[in-house]
Amino acid sequence: MASAVDSPGAAAPPARRVLRWGNWRLALLLFVGGSAAAIATLPPSASFWVAGALGAAFAGSAVVNAWGRYRGGLLVAPALALLFVMNIFPLLWSFGLSFFSYRANRMAVPVFVGLSNYERIVTDPVVWDRLQTTALMVVLTVSLQMVAGFLMALLFAKQFPLRRYLLILVLTPMMLSFVAVGAFFRYYYEPSLGLLSQFVRLFTGEPYVLMKSVWGARAGIIFADAWMWAPFVMLLILAGLVSVPKYLYEAAAIDRAPAWRQLWSITLPYIRGLLLLAVLFRTIEAFKLFDVVFLLTEGGPGTSTETIAVYVYRLAFQYVKTSESTALSYILLFTVIVLTNLYLYFANRRGQEA
Amino acid sequence: MIRLTKPTGALGAAAALLVALGAQLPARAADVTLRMAVPDWPPTHIMKDLFDKQYKAASGNNVKLELDFIPWPDYYTRLNASLTSGEKKYNMAVSDSQWLGAFIEGGYYLNIDKYVAADPGLQAVFKDLHPAVKDSYSTYPYKSDKLYGFPQMPDLVVSYYRKDLFCDATEQKNFQAKYKYKLPCSPEEMDNITWDNFRDIGEFFQRKKGEPLAGKPADDDFYGIEFQVGKGYDFFTTSAYEFLWQHGGDIWDETKQPSAHAVGVVNSRVAVESFEHLLSFVKYMPPIAKTGGLDIFKTDELFREGKVAINLEWIGFAESSINKETSKVADKVAFAQIPGLKTPKGVVKWSVIGGQPFVLMTWNTDIQTKEALDFCKWWLSKPTQIAFAKAGGQSALRSVYTDPSYVSFRPWNRTWAASLDWQRDFWHIPEFFELLTEQQEEFTKAITGQQNAKTTMDNIANFQEKLLKDAGRIK
Repeated sequence: MASAVDSPGAAAPPARRVLRWGNWRLALLLFVGGSAAAIATLPPSASFWVAGALGAAFAGSAVVNAWGRYRGGLLVAPALALLFVMNIFPLLWSFGLSFFSYRANRMAVPVFVGLSNYERIVTDPVVWDRLQTTALMVVLTVSLQMVAGFLMALLFAKQFPLRRYLLILVLTPMMLSFVAVGAFFRYYYEPSLGLLSQFVRLFTGEPYVLMKSVWGARAGIIFADAWMWAPFVMLLILAGLVSVPKYLYEAAAIDRAPAWRQLWSITLPYIRGLLLLAVLFRTIEAFKLFDVVFLLTEGGPGTSTETIAVYVYRLAFQYVKTSESTALSYILLFTVIVLTNLYLYFANRRGQEA
Repeated sequence: MIRLTKPTGALGAAAALLVALGAQLPARAADVTLRMAVPDWPPTHIMKDLFDKQYKAASGNNVKLELDFIPWPDYYTRLNASLTSGEKKYNMAVSDSQWLGAFIEGGYYLNIDKYVAADPGLQAVFKDLHPAVKDSYSTYPYKSDKLYGFPQMPDLVVSYYRKDLFCDATEQKNFQAKYKYKLPCSPEEMDNITWDNFRDIGEFFQRKKGEPLAGKPADDDFYGIEFQVGKGYDFFTTSAYEFLWQHGGDIWDETKQPSAHAVGVVNSRVAVESFEHLLSFVKYMPPIAKTGGLDIFKTDELFREGKVAINLEWIGFAESSINKETSKVADKVAFAQIPGLKTPKGVVKWSVIGGQPFVLMTWNTDIQTKEALDFCKWWLSKPTQIAFAKAGGQSALRSVYTDPSYVSFRPWNRTWAASLDWQRDFWHIPEFFELLTEQQEEFTKAITGQQNAKTTMDNIANFQEKLLKDAGRIK
């Protein structure tokens, strides 16, 4: 009985066994071979549908094959299929594209150029300049977020009147959309109508133009990003703070340990894991800093706030250098993965040493 | 000999009757939908409104116009994404003239030469178009014989000014005392001002909060002048080229490829002087100019908020400045030509043409192309263009804008015909966006004091020379 279920076509003649619906290997072969043949011989509008039909046939065959045997696999299959179509396939496709010379606004067929897009990117001084700007922004904004988030967490770890309502207010910025934050700060920094300028003018009598200098513009972006994401850091640290056992503080108080010593020897060791997690999350996110920069300064004055994410956007959608932009995106992805792993490695090592 | 049986004979007779009837009856009207990508602003809404109320296809087909209204800031990105993705969603699109090269060489925009050659109606349209508009909106390569687009909304920069301030008796008296000539008040007087006068106006109308302004204390800091000097898109280049061309300088000449060079032209002595001239006005503008953030939306907003005496702005924004619901100065604004440069030969004026053409797509079916061309003919017919102008649009057809009634439709129309003669366009080539982005970056470095005018123009010239050489446009 079990063997009949495992191989439903075992008793059938060889031809029927090969051509049965559950033969997923044949379906896969037809899908790969048929798609390649269709792409090579048919116009794109036809080959797309041929490849799509063969892909659907393969998926159907896999379902028939798995029916009744791999129920768990079948249940997760739709999610996997969606992941493949929406994430993995575009990733692979764009990775392939990075080895071709291709511009999306030209009808020309992509030409294989090997690693030359990567070579051009890593030898381009503009890319290095934008990477330096990005690194600077990442270091400054993440540092500010960590300090502000930590201080706010220390505050909200204590009980005081209206704490709950204030907490909701403080958490609001991270729930706003990037566009809303960008538009808000654009007006906030605006020298004629903006709140910041109006406030400074009360004391100086002159409008305050924060964004007219390179460092002013950078400060404006860093503050806006930190305003949005410091509450996220606070939330993570707050979760750590409330988990520190109270008796440790009581014991430290009995030993007359000063507050900074309690912080250093009790609080920090307890929340170190969450602090590292916050740094990791925020570094990865800050590395992709785009929206606030684009809305506030468009990378200006000059190129002083143009992060690498803004440059990728320009390459891909303004200059339409499609394959170059994909190569740069993969270099960035690789960089983030390496940095993350290095960071986790050192974090784990220190954890073991401790 | 074939002998027809009775049933066969009856069937044959019926078939003959049907064929005869078919020949006499008109062909059944086909349903044709034209999908068009358009920016979300009044000129395209007026077009849709006029179409819905008036349009009857000459072919008798049921033609439906579906407009996809896209906000301006996203427009290029969305149109570019749609075209390059291959979705073939649009049959027509409103396109900035600078995008022509990229999308024509990409194979998206349809060349209309053969249709124009076969249609006297279209030939009449092009004959009636102002040549500056035809060159800018329709030709690729720029100023060649190859035609692609029709004007949807032609536009140009004019002066918006506060007549309540300029014509105020106290301000007139004070200006006369300080500068020894009359403060321009009427549009005709304002048409004739030079950049020297513009500078004086900028200096004169700088007021701190509380200082008297037209007999009343200013409720906030007030500024004399403004024009676009923003980092986004071409919001600095437009102003820079006004100064450049008026000073007698030039840009890299795409009509003289591959012999024309950028170095030596873009960074010529006169180009540097013209840019220094532009920068000399920044101190009289609202302080946001010093950040590189004074784009066309900000100039419009500050003027409508009543913060500036005179604004050089596209006509496309004028409707909202005279609307009481959107403008604090709706009943105080007048319009004139932009200032010119005083030279020994007289006052010289040049400006960058604005507005947009619309284009057809290469993947349209024959019937869609035919209906789209008929739609263009309708849009560019005199009655439709007059209706458009009455509703706030502009027309580049001589037969329309020379009509005596034209100047009465809107207060800024009086500047239109005269200004058209000194409009020019820049860069139709596919490398347009790279040239523009780098130039905007360099300009904003200068306005924020990171570098001087000479370095700015040298950097731009060297970048353009290299880029255009790499692209094979300079040998």
